[in-house]
Amino acid sequence: MGLRGFGDLEAVVMRRLWDHDGPVTVREVFEELRQDRAIAYTTVMSTMDNLHRKGWLSRVKDGKAYRYSAVASREEYSARLMREAMAEADDTEAVLSHFLAHMDSAESDALRAVLLRLTRKTGENAQ
Amino acid sequence: MRAALVLAGYALVVAWFLPRPLARLTGQGASVRPGLAAWLSALLSAAVSAVIGLQFLIRTAIAGWPRLSEVVCRSVAGSACTRAVYGSAAFELGVGAIAMAATAVALVVAWRCGRRAQRARRHTRAHAEAARLIGKALPGTEALVLTDPRPIAYCVPGRPAAIVLTSGVLEVLEPAQLDAVLAHERAHLARRHPVLVSLTRGLAAAVPVVPLFAWARAEVARLAEMSADDAAIRVSGRTAVITALIAIGTGAAVRDDSIARAPAAVPRAAIGAAGYAVPARLERMVAPAGPARQAWYSLALVGLLAGMLVLPGVLAMLAG
Repeated sequence: MGLRGFGDLEAVVMRRLWDHDGPVTVREVFEELRQDRAIAYTTVMSTMDNLHRKGWLSRVKDGKAYRYSAVASREEYSARLMREAMAEADDTEAVLSHFLAHMDSAESDALRAVLLRLTRKTGENAQ
Repeated sequence: MRAALVLAGYALVVAWFLPRPLARLTGQGASVRPGLAAWLSALLSAAVSAVIGLQFLIRTAIAGWPRLSEVVCRSVAGSACTRAVYGSAAFELGVGAIAMAATAVALVVAWRCGRRAQRARRHTRAHAEAARLIGKALPGTEALVLTDPRPIAYCVPGRPAAIVLTSGVLEVLEPAQLDAVLAHERAHLARRHPVLVSLTRGLAAAVPVVPLFAWARAEVARLAEMSADDAAIRVSGRTAVITALIAIGTGAAVRDDSIARAPAAVPRAAIGAAGYAVPARLERMVAPAGPARQAWYSLALVGLLAGMLVLPGVLAMLAG
């Protein structure tokens, strides 16, 4: 897979971090990434620095280098996203355009009633 | 000065009395794009005339404070307005208080809208970024997949924008239905629906007392869905869009597509669920309005929106 952009590299680095059990250094991530793509050490370093600045990675000083780890697990972030996606439009700040907006129980009932009428109608026509 | 009062009155009429009849014209989605344009013109028309009216008021106040109360008094009561009335402390204080209150309200509204828009942009950007970092690319598409059993599909605006699907939605959709869902979301992004939706949502949240804002929020969101449905129909066909909507709405796969071929014989009134967005979308796709009805609604809406764009200027000239 080619490198499509910086955002893509951030995703690749996060995936590496989530796959590791403990904190890792830039050098370790760089050595892993180098196996399957041409990449510069400084690129990996600035990517991880960005992720730290944006709050995705935490780091502790270990000698001269930093050791990085993910702030939360992939599952936790995923749950957070889904919570935001499932919230009613009024309860969330993010602007998301759903294929099917959140329905309250009255609207679900109305939808079911429409479906019932439609299926009955087509059933009659088929006869 | 009379122009200011006339414009303020016009803004109030548009904001309080227009929404209900306008919603009757646009609600069933017989004419989607003119409908969207009509709601946006109503917002623009009310906002512009309110701002111009306010600006008249402030300018007169600054130009000569003691004269303002006289001008207001004369433009309302004409020659019946005597010095004893407009010169009285009570009248002057009253006019001053109203002018200051109107200015303060306008400033607070603008500030609140700006703050909300900023917050919404930050949250939206963070959501898109998280989706890109966590989601897996769906081969052959630009969509990102998150692992979750609930069937959810949505798009997040931004640069770059993201279309997010759950593993649950992939399970209930056939390939053609998935294409329809992707086409629907791409249309939202291409037609800048998130901008319209966040604008109307922000207004409704910032000033909930204005009926026009609350109505515009609901109706613009609903029309945006219908507009994206139409785009999806052009890409994947009516049947795929209808069955995708049913599959995601009920959380169960729909393989029998006879439901989407339910003929025009279904009487519109028999469905009668137009009060709700999703049943209304389903209804207009299964039993679309005929060409004559569509043309009539389009004509009415275009006439209305042209009137709303021209009227504030005409009123200001006539009264000024």
